[in-house]
Amino acid sequence: MDIYKLLPKTNCKLCGEQTCMSFAFKLIRREKKLEDCKPLFEPEFEEQRRKIEEMLKVVEKATETGLVVNEDLCIGCGNCVVVCPVHVYEDPEGAGSGYGVRIERPILMVEDGVVRVVDVSLCRRYKDKTLCVACRENCPTSAIAFLEEL
Amino acid sequence: MICTGCSCLCDDVVVDEKVRHACRIGASLILNRNVARAEPMVDGRKTDLDSAIESAIELLKDSNKVLIYGLNYSTLEAQRIAMKLAKKIDAYLDNGLRYDLAEKLLDGEVRIATLEDVRDYAYVMMFWMFDAHNEMPRLMSRTYYARGKKRQRGYEEDRFLVVVDVRRSHTAMLAKKNAIFIEYDDELIKEFETAIRGGLARREVLKVVGELKKSDFNVIFTREFLPFANEFGYIVPTIPQTNAMGFYKVLREEGGKIGRLEELDIDTILVVGDDPLNDLPLNAIPNFIVIDPKVSFTSKIARVVIPSAISGLECGGTMLRCDLVEMKLKPPFKSEIDDVEILKRILRGL
Repeated sequence: MDIYKLLPKTNCKLCGEQTCMSFAFKLIRREKKLEDCKPLFEPEFEEQRRKIEEMLKVVEKATETGLVVNEDLCIGCGNCVVVCPVHVYEDPEGAGSGYGVRIERPILMVEDGVVRVVDVSLCRRYKDKTLCVACRENCPTSAIAFLEEL
Repeated sequence: MICTGCSCLCDDVVVDEKVRHACRIGASLILNRNVARAEPMVDGRKTDLDSAIESAIELLKDSNKVLIYGLNYSTLEAQRIAMKLAKKIDAYLDNGLRYDLAEKLLDGEVRIATLEDVRDYAYVMMFWMFDAHNEMPRLMSRTYYARGKKRQRGYEEDRFLVVVDVRRSHTAMLAKKNAIFIEYDDELIKEFETAIRGGLARREVLKVVGELKKSDFNVIFTREFLPFANEFGYIVPTIPQTNAMGFYKVLREEGGKIGRLEELDIDTILVVGDDPLNDLPLNAIPNFIVIDPKVSFTSKIARVVIPSAISGLECGGTMLRCDLVEMKLKPPFKSEIDDVEILKRILRGL
């Protein structure tokens, strides 16, 4: 929504989308590029363009599911690894029981004291598009965030 | 390996090209193991290990009142030898922590639950003036969030979290669904006592006491003794210093003299793996002999510094987890000298 507010909002359709709103959504999902919005590169929108580019830097760090991990804040407690419903189902003896995750390609894993995203293809947000926020909700230091909430 | 970063003593940590599953405290201990290592020193000058140990023995022989301080991060074996050493030279002992809860636990006055039992059976979990995430980071993921034998439906349905603290700590941030945060004040302990006996108390306390009736296995994570502990359920002592519980147990078995630094006229302090200069307000600076793997404030001004190994990482042995379960350490690295060897040599020399 913040990106949409900075777009020209003329619904000019030059990018191939019907509205600026749908362009903003596709921009976050990485289906469109900022360069597709031609009017934004005109001098009058320069300041807005710069702001959007700044915002997109955060988007680039995010995974396909919109998960962003701030490693500076993470304390490696492993709450996210243990509460993840997929981990519990796939690895009941390991992550489900409070130990380190034992499956080969987990979603999250604590490495060198901070949580790292290993493979999001198992995540419920990736497969079924469920809006699961178990990992974010149980992070004590707010090191985990999702793009839609930023 | 078994991580010795805190008294959780997590046994699932893997060390290969990366450190897996350890929290930030544990990972830092392992990754930075070669940073700021201590070197053998006598009176500020570098020397070799043998002459440092020799000087320590001489200094101890010349002292009238000796205090052995620390030992919280040493193995049970090292603690036993330190106690023998204390007996031989009539020294006092202190680990810089409180004794009330440990005394009650070892006397059997309060019931203690192991972390595995807590995971498998506990319903109400109360964190009493204890911010788990900053002191023992993995404690909550190993107990509250983990699913156990009788608690398979996860934290939202099968657990009730109570956090008591003076501020909204990181642990208190997680008191969301099926959970409650109570701000601590002086009346709280009394209110819990009356509420458990059926009396009146503030709304939050009554809610917690109501939840207690839903299960016969409830647990308090605390480091101070609470008079209502037995009516509440079980206790898990949460002293974050790796082997502090071992110190209390060995002290009970061997029978040593406890002495507080500020109350005694000590002339030499033998520090084992601790940093009293950083922690304590000292009026006068006595002679320090420091046995530590790393450089510390105390080792900077110490008369004698003897470098040692990091327990659990470079030397093996046994340690007691926070819930008094004995854990055998599996060190991934090797060291020629450790606390046990140094203390043995000092004991032999005296």
